[in-house]
Amino acid sequence: MNVLKHQRLDRRGFVRDLGLAAAAVPFLAGLPSLNAARTKRPPQRIVFIFTPNGTVPPLFWPDAEGPHSTFKRILAPLEPFKDRVLTIQGLCNRVRGDGDGHMRGMSCLLTGIELFPGNIQGGSDTPAGWASGPSIDQELGRFLQTRAETRTRFATLDLGVAVPNRADPWTRWSYAGPNQPVAPVSDPYQVFERMFGQMKDQESLGSVLDGVRADLKRAGKNLGKEDRALLEKHTTFVREMERELKEARRQKLARPAPALEPGVSTDNDDMPRSSVMQSDLLVNAFANDMTRVASLQYTNSVGQARMKWIGVDEGHHSLSHDPDLNEGSQEKLAKINVWFAEQIAALAKKLQETPEPGGHGTLLDHTTLLWTNELGKGNSHTLENIPFVLVGGGLGFRSGRAVKLDLTPHNRLWMALAHAVGNEVKAFGNPKFCDKGPLGLA
Amino acid sequence: MSARTHSLFRLAVCLMGLSVGCAAAPDPALLKRGAAVYRQDCVRCHGPKGEGVARKHDEPLTGDRSVEALATYIQRTMPEDDPGSCSAEDSAAVAAYIHDAFYSPEARAKLFPVRKELQRLTHRQFQESVADLLAGFGKVQQATPTGGLNAEYWQSKGMNKKERSALKRTDAFVDVDYGTNSPTDDITADQFSVAWSGSLWAPESGTYEFRLRTPNGARLYVNSDLASGDANRRDDSDAKRQNATIDLWVSSGGQMREATAAVPLLGGRSYPLRVDFFKFKETNASVRLEWRPPHGAWAVVPPQVLSTNASTSWVVVSTPFPADDSSHGYARGTAVSKAWLDAVSRASVEVAGVIEGRLGSLTGSREGATNRVAALKGFAGTLAERAWRRPLSAKERASVVDGFFAKGVAPETALKRAVLRILTSPEFLYPGLEGRRDDAAVAGQLALALWDSLPDEALRTAALEGQLKTADQIRTQATRMLSDPRARAKLTGFFHHWLKLEEATDISKDPKTYPGFDEAVVSDLRWSLETFLEHVVWSERSDYRELLQADYLYLNPRLAAFYGAKVPGDAGFVPVKFDASQRAGVLTHPLLLAAFSYHRSSSPIHRGVFLTRNVLGRTLRPPPMAIEFMDDRFDPSLTMREKVTELTGKASCMGCHATINPLGFSLEHFDAVGRFRTVDNAKPVNATAEYTTADGQVVRLSGARDVANHAAESPEARRAFVKQLFQHTWKQAPMAFAPDLLGRLDAQFLRDSHHIQRLWIEIAVAGVTEGKETKR
Repeated sequence: MNVLKHQRLDRRGFVRDLGLAAAAVPFLAGLPSLNAARTKRPPQRIVFIFTPNGTVPPLFWPDAEGPHSTFKRILAPLEPFKDRVLTIQGLCNRVRGDGDGHMRGMSCLLTGIELFPGNIQGGSDTPAGWASGPSIDQELGRFLQTRAETRTRFATLDLGVAVPNRADPWTRWSYAGPNQPVAPVSDPYQVFERMFGQMKDQESLGSVLDGVRADLKRAGKNLGKEDRALLEKHTTFVREMERELKEARRQKLARPAPALEPGVSTDNDDMPRSSVMQSDLLVNAFANDMTRVASLQYTNSVGQARMKWIGVDEGHHSLSHDPDLNEGSQEKLAKINVWFAEQIAALAKKLQETPEPGGHGTLLDHTTLLWTNELGKGNSHTLENIPFVLVGGGLGFRSGRAVKLDLTPHNRLWMALAHAVGNEVKAFGNPKFCDKGPLGLA
Repeated sequence: MSARTHSLFRLAVCLMGLSVGCAAAPDPALLKRGAAVYRQDCVRCHGPKGEGVARKHDEPLTGDRSVEALATYIQRTMPEDDPGSCSAEDSAAVAAYIHDAFYSPEARAKLFPVRKELQRLTHRQFQESVADLLAGFGKVQQATPTGGLNAEYWQSKGMNKKERSALKRTDAFVDVDYGTNSPTDDITADQFSVAWSGSLWAPESGTYEFRLRTPNGARLYVNSDLASGDANRRDDSDAKRQNATIDLWVSSGGQMREATAAVPLLGGRSYPLRVDFFKFKETNASVRLEWRPPHGAWAVVPPQVLSTNASTSWVVVSTPFPADDSSHGYARGTAVSKAWLDAVSRASVEVAGVIEGRLGSLTGSREGATNRVAALKGFAGTLAERAWRRPLSAKERASVVDGFFAKGVAPETALKRAVLRILTSPEFLYPGLEGRRDDAAVAGQLALALWDSLPDEALRTAALEGQLKTADQIRTQATRMLSDPRARAKLTGFFHHWLKLEEATDISKDPKTYPGFDEAVVSDLRWSLETFLEHVVWSERSDYRELLQADYLYLNPRLAAFYGAKVPGDAGFVPVKFDASQRAGVLTHPLLLAAFSYHRSSSPIHRGVFLTRNVLGRTLRPPPMAIEFMDDRFDPSLTMREKVTELTGKASCMGCHATINPLGFSLEHFDAVGRFRTVDNAKPVNATAEYTTADGQVVRLSGARDVANHAAESPEARRAFVKQLFQHTWKQAPMAFAPDLLGRLDAQFLRDSHHIQRLWIEIAVAGVTEGKETKR
């Protein structure tokens, strides 16, 4: 019988993803060098950003190919970065097979390959399971980890904003391999814990050692010589630990951990706040060179964000089904997409304001934000003309312009990304969509 | 090896020995003469107090042989440069002298009085204490196995929607292949779901692996509480679920999928268990839940550990700890190391993290609420009092609780620090620290002795009400505590230790010689032995002698087939009577016989050493040289007994092997997998032997039954049992509590018809009351 072996699941699964299984690493092992001297080749970073349910094409796509004039409404928030923005129109998710349009839109987006048949039934088509290959973010992360000069503490950081706590082809776009969906972490505190937990724990531990030593001293007074010797030995180790903790504290981060606003939930209503926190953490992870590849997933395919904070009470997916003639709905969809664009602009701004550590320019010079969607347009469920917006630099792509293609498989964009970081793949995803090679974007 | 070193070893080997209990006071004249002989002939190699002399003989002269046995030996072998030159009178005198001066355990106790040592928590005690500490903030619910799980079968409709509950029943296990069919008439075959729920009993502590296999959708939850409002349903569109232990919810590719997860569990506790399963339009449906318990083989989780009743979950610390010192034959916390402090710190961080994740249910307060700080402080205060096993002074409360809740520190961070402070304090880690003798201290001692844990509410109440003062009051509590699953778990640990089961991790045998003796059989044997121990110890008679003399084995159909017995086909483990001349209690349990065997053949040496040390309670020095048993070095026509006789024939070996071999030979009727045999290597088995006891009596043995009978009646074996149980309970030697304590406990054990439970209660009581009288 052909048995698919899944990755071993650890109960404290989250620790597993640290890359340093907490159990295997001595408590006081110094943090991995966060800014070790590397060869001077500037870093290349990329963030894959997902927002759902298609865009409003007339308010999104630039009219003409070539250098941007003023952005239309949805891209307007990116105006300050116009010369670093590359829009690519005409890319299509050509993957067919099992699963409805949303499922394939989501789970074939970064993978470019078919879903396995399965037991998850969408609104139409046949039931499906997971993608049958890895996603481009995981592939880039894997590749960069194979080289000493691009190796980082985390191969990828997989973040979410208000992604529901369930695993199915609508909520997973990142795959470590066939049948290996990667769960995004929507809770900023959990991300913080992953990035800085060890340090914070050390800090907390350091704060109690004085008291413990006092206890040991007091207790020793009531004991005979031999028993006291045991406690004295204990005290010696406590002192040693104190010294090592001090030492660890001296290993400064290039950029200190961000202060997170307390009490933010992963629920719909807290989206604006958790979005800010996730992007702060992301910028910090880059500044401290903890990773080079990240993904940031806003809700999920068929996501029902209710953006009350911009006056939209209806669910995003429901709105996206309304016909083009429904002006009220189109207006709300525009607002929703503008809000998403603002999130991306805010992230770009933070990257722009953060100097590249030990190098030249800013983080944005060496970071590409890639914003995309599982559909081209909500009410048609089309997988053609899917939004692809690249912001930033570092991959050698010529930006500040709109590219228009003619129904080109999006697999070729993923090949272009792989080639840009030196991973000269012959195909990515289903090879039959790759025969024309990587998209030329230089 | 030179001849000289060899003869030095000979002395070392031969002066192993054994006590004879209380002999009459030796004749002073004899001792004087012995001392003179010793100074003249022995001191140059053995040193003034038998401590040894470097490069001559550096093994101390200690042991538990009788004076007579020593005298015989000395006359035969000493001094090493002129053996036999020592007269019978001088040998007797010098034997009496050294026995009295430093050789015997009694002499050593006088020379080096044993002291009650301050001890830290062992790894097990840390884990158990934490589990009970946190569980104490909620309602504790344990479930004893009932032989299966609740199963509810649903008709589905549309995608993943439960439409109608069609059937409720108890299923003995989760291993079902519906093929293309439906589980029951009332449900369609194309889409349905099943939910199995109940509890899982963990027989021992360790890492349990679970494996879920299905071509459909399934999730497994072990030891996790379901989030509130999370009903038993497959439609998980908006459920904020607990993370599943194994999540195979999405079927993919129509193939069989499997995933494993490792879950640390503490023995003697039950854990919530749930499997959710659904089929949606796949061709076939099947699901199987397997586990691999510590020391076990992969198998479908068996009915004997499943219960239809609910359990609460437990916090099991998973941080690895360095091994505790077991050099005295039992794990104890007499040493600290950097690695240990590191482990304690990490474990405390782990616990603080768990608490942080459950603050709502533990403290009944929400983040940002006005009562938040007060609630967290209250929680920390209670945590400290329970972990430290006593009330806090106002000053202590200010230091370990209030002090952390300062301005500018988030209350959650403050609580985390308070938790770290409490758990890394010596007040938690060294239970006997204060040397206090009050009722709270007694409660702490009792909980540690019988549970390796912290006092429960009943004990705390008894302490508060001053109900732990007299021996009778303490006995009442101890008796109550014995019925708690934690007591069973600790006693199970003792038997694992007594029978060396902890070391019996790999019992595989040559499959050509022993076809069918596979992992599953070994796993079943372990269960068979556990069941036997459980049955004897917790029966009304609770008779130590039955452990040695029982003429039955617990067998299931697989074991029965392998060991040539008959049991009903659908039986679990049932007692099967054997010819009493063949089988005798634990001595002939196939698991132990196999554990003390080579890959292809029996091992009279391993079996003999086990009987000598663990069952008969005699001491053996480590062998002077390691000699590997190499089967191909022997004449291939020899029996195992003949090979061992040849191998250990030298005088340097016989010092110990004169004791080991006869005991081992008496079990030669059993092959390397514990099957009875009458022929070894085409010759009839010879299991007759003459065993000489420590005080020189010769016991004629003709098989396992004779050894068992001898052990059951032997005072030294019984005393050794009492001593080992005492040490397992208190992590200290009884001598450290009172010189005659072991004798008194042994006498009581004899009066109580070898009643193990009563013995254990008396051990617990004595440890507390004797401790009260002992000054530090």
